[in-house]
Amino acid sequence: MAIAERTAGTVSPPSVSVRPGWAGWLSTTDHKRIGIMYLVSAFVFFLIGGIEALLMRIQLGVPDNTFLTPDVYNQMFTMHGTTMIFLGLMPLNVGLGNYMVPLMIGARDMAFPRLNALSVWLFIFGGLMLYVSFFVGGAPNVGWFAYAPLTQKQFAPTSGVDYWIIGIGLTGVASIAGALNFIVTILNMRAPGMTLNRMPLFVWMQLIVAFILIFAFPVLTVATIQLLFDRHFGTRFFLPNLGGDAVLWQHLFWFFGHPEVYILILPTMGIISEVLPTFSRKPIFGYAFVAYSGVAIGFLGFLVWAHHMFAVGLGPLANAFFGAASFLIAVPTGVKIFNWLATMWQGSLHLTTAMLYAISFIGMFVIGGISGITLASPPINVQQTDSYYVVAHMHYVLFGGAIQGIFAGIFYWFPKMTGRMLDERLGKWQFWLMLISFNLTFFPMHLSGNEGMPRRIYTYEADMGWNLWNLMSTIGSLLLAVAFLIFLWNVLTSIRRGPIAPADPWDGATLEWAVSSPPPVYNFAVTPRVRSRRPLWDEKYPHLHEVNGSHEAPVARKGLLRDGFERETPEAMEPIHLPSPTYAPLIVSVGIMILGFGIIYLGDFGLIAASAMLVGLLIMAAGILSWVRISHVDSPHHAHHGI
Amino acid sequence: MSESSMTRPHAAAAHHTSLGVDNRKLGVWAFIGSETLFFATLITTYFVFAPVNRMRPDFQDPRKFLDIELTTVLASILLASSLTMVLALSASKRGDRRWFATWLLATVGLGLAFIGGQVYEFNHLYHEGLTLSSSLFGTTFFVLTGFHGTHVAIGVIWLLAVFFKVRAYPDSPENAMDVEIAGLYWHFVDLVWVAIFVLVYLI
Amino acid sequence: MAGHHEDQGAHAHGEHGHSDRFYWLVAGVLAVVTALEVGLFIVNEQHLIAKWLEVTLLLILSTIKGAAVVMYFMHLKGDAGVFKFVFLVPLAFATTLLLSFMALFSEHVGIAG
Repeated sequence: MAIAERTAGTVSPPSVSVRPGWAGWLSTTDHKRIGIMYLVSAFVFFLIGGIEALLMRIQLGVPDNTFLTPDVYNQMFTMHGTTMIFLGLMPLNVGLGNYMVPLMIGARDMAFPRLNALSVWLFIFGGLMLYVSFFVGGAPNVGWFAYAPLTQKQFAPTSGVDYWIIGIGLTGVASIAGALNFIVTILNMRAPGMTLNRMPLFVWMQLIVAFILIFAFPVLTVATIQLLFDRHFGTRFFLPNLGGDAVLWQHLFWFFGHPEVYILILPTMGIISEVLPTFSRKPIFGYAFVAYSGVAIGFLGFLVWAHHMFAVGLGPLANAFFGAASFLIAVPTGVKIFNWLATMWQGSLHLTTAMLYAISFIGMFVIGGISGITLASPPINVQQTDSYYVVAHMHYVLFGGAIQGIFAGIFYWFPKMTGRMLDERLGKWQFWLMLISFNLTFFPMHLSGNEGMPRRIYTYEADMGWNLWNLMSTIGSLLLAVAFLIFLWNVLTSIRRGPIAPADPWDGATLEWAVSSPPPVYNFAVTPRVRSRRPLWDEKYPHLHEVNGSHEAPVARKGLLRDGFERETPEAMEPIHLPSPTYAPLIVSVGIMILGFGIIYLGDFGLIAASAMLVGLLIMAAGILSWVRISHVDSPHHAHHGI
Repeated sequence: MSESSMTRPHAAAAHHTSLGVDNRKLGVWAFIGSETLFFATLITTYFVFAPVNRMRPDFQDPRKFLDIELTTVLASILLASSLTMVLALSASKRGDRRWFATWLLATVGLGLAFIGGQVYEFNHLYHEGLTLSSSLFGTTFFVLTGFHGTHVAIGVIWLLAVFFKVRAYPDSPENAMDVEIAGLYWHFVDLVWVAIFVLVYLI
Repeated sequence: MAGHHEDQGAHAHGEHGHSDRFYWLVAGVLAVVTALEVGLFIVNEQHLIAKWLEVTLLLILSTIKGAAVVMYFMHLKGDAGVFKFVFLVPLAFATTLLLSFMALFSEHVGIAG
């Protein structure tokens, strides 16, 4: 295990001191700590979103229920959707990526550690701002897609929608900054020999997602800014009575919204592509196909947005185009699914909890994919749209798919992140309970949807024929809550008393298993050298490398990223540069948040809000000054001219 | 071909990256890519509403409001600022502190002149009766050009910050890169105006 | 296309082999093209040529301007391929966005009329 020995070899401790206790977390620039901050805060938001879902299920458990008022019900489904997508799934994926990507490509940190800290703080503050709305007049109650003109001031008079705009705005800035960081890190910080064609597939998917993000989020940002102007500053972008266009909002929102679906699912496809080979004891089948089908999905994802809008009446030409393009996405998705199946085929399967989740991902995702194909057909879509069939579809994709994939990733990487193993027995209980209750919750929604039950209704009458399906869904959702409690218990006990995790508990193939669990703050004492797609397996089982490795000789391709693929550096014990801890990103985020509060109230309380904005800007400026100073001190050139 | 082939030997050693390009420069280019979609969305909105504006009873004709002479001056100012910016970068790389300061501050001055011109233009249009709420043209025009103006203002602040940071050693590799990436952003803002100039003012 | 190097610029070329004189030249071209654009706009207020032709010519001239800024002032020409990738791909998406929205809304003017 030369890589493991060399990379974990003795090294003089880096010159960076980590502050103890809370200060260490508030001022951290370490991608591993930031990853954990993402994971923990996203999981808290995820639980809150789950509680909102439970409240809705309780309300719908029996007909004519009065557990929630209609307005509170509207707030619940809006906050549930917004929370799960922007504050739950996305940051859970980002958290895993933040922790693992630098380790997997053999880097010491992300390319921009301070920007990374800024991203996590902006995400946390954006989520908190969204939740502040509950205490200042009511949460947004217009759905997570916020269709116009329902979002206009006369129909949504509370500032809930404003908090939605600013909260989404802050997490959006965080996402774009994070995506830029991932792009630069993955393209430019790889260890020698880690060519693009040797990167772990999780890294590939994170790279694709980062590109989708920087292309899709600006569109949402513009749309929400225009909505903010409509609400407060007298414009009329989405006001049909003044010539504005409600359909334009839908187009802009879904131009972002459909790529967003792939932002949620592609990273978990990457997780699956790591977990399945490890526990099948086989290399991934068709590496290049899995990687490039991810690119194809990401690209096609930008051409299908209007399949969310078939009911608008776009005309036969547009419907045909968007329907056909949506069908087309099934091709690269199917490629991936068959590659995963072929990876397991004749493998020596180890059914750990992570593996169970990965296998279950495939099954549940296929169900969601098939209902997705039915929805891609305009005539069928018009029947199903806005019914519970759609709710069933998206939960099979995003819960059966993304959440199960994330659990696979958490069970797989928890030992690496904490140095402790999760309890496999509890994990399997959780898995089976979750799989059963998930299907109990969401499968009946296909049926209630087909029987005409619309989405977003707060109650229904007893003679509609939906009673049984709804009761099943509600029971299922309560069982799901138990599964999450088991997981929470598992994490809380294992983190203190779980068995100590070795560096490589699963006999993994990728670089993160070459370092101790948890990894040292500098990740690798010596930058590893990579000669294949499975650097650790090739070292542990050299005879397999003879069998598998020959066809992987790097091919010089003519292409955009040709330069520097194979650049090698002389091996040298260079001093380890790690970024200093700093509060600057936290200060800048606080400033931006105060600025956001000011913007929300600028239309109604001009002077006070403007003062708040000024204060926010000043705090931001102070933060940026301290940021520039610390980045200058940390700069590798600092010593050269002595200032 | 790449950063590491730059002439300063200590830069090459410290700057090793997989693609042989500077991290921050790659980040700024990707950010510019993202901003391209930001402005594309604003411009798209303008175009979607242009024909609707014409059919409305409160129609306001862009050709009647927009002053081609003022706009040409503003466009020329921004194009000139791109020239001074690239000359500032060139001066910084050859370590010419005096010309670096001259060209960079000229860029800042031209940026401020552009902002001043836009404030004058907005003020003038406002008094002519074009506001955010007067018509779809007002709505789309002010939000589009206003966001561009905001970007110019941020660019001015960025350039000033870079100036005070690097003026003592404009040719150190880190500082030259500071100038280069601020310049990239500045040229991009100019590029957006090239698009707005033809799409909004001329067509 | 690269201009020859002036003395003091000679050691700063690296990836960007342009002299200050070359930048002045580019700026001159930009000024001429802008003048052509404005001239075309003003002259064609008499409707000498068809509107579609005017629009086409204006778009071509602006593309020349934009390309000059990107290629020479931003040094994208001759710079690393990855920069072209992260700029030109979103530019293609942006163009797609604009054109597809114009197509989608061409027969749809809301309820304005």
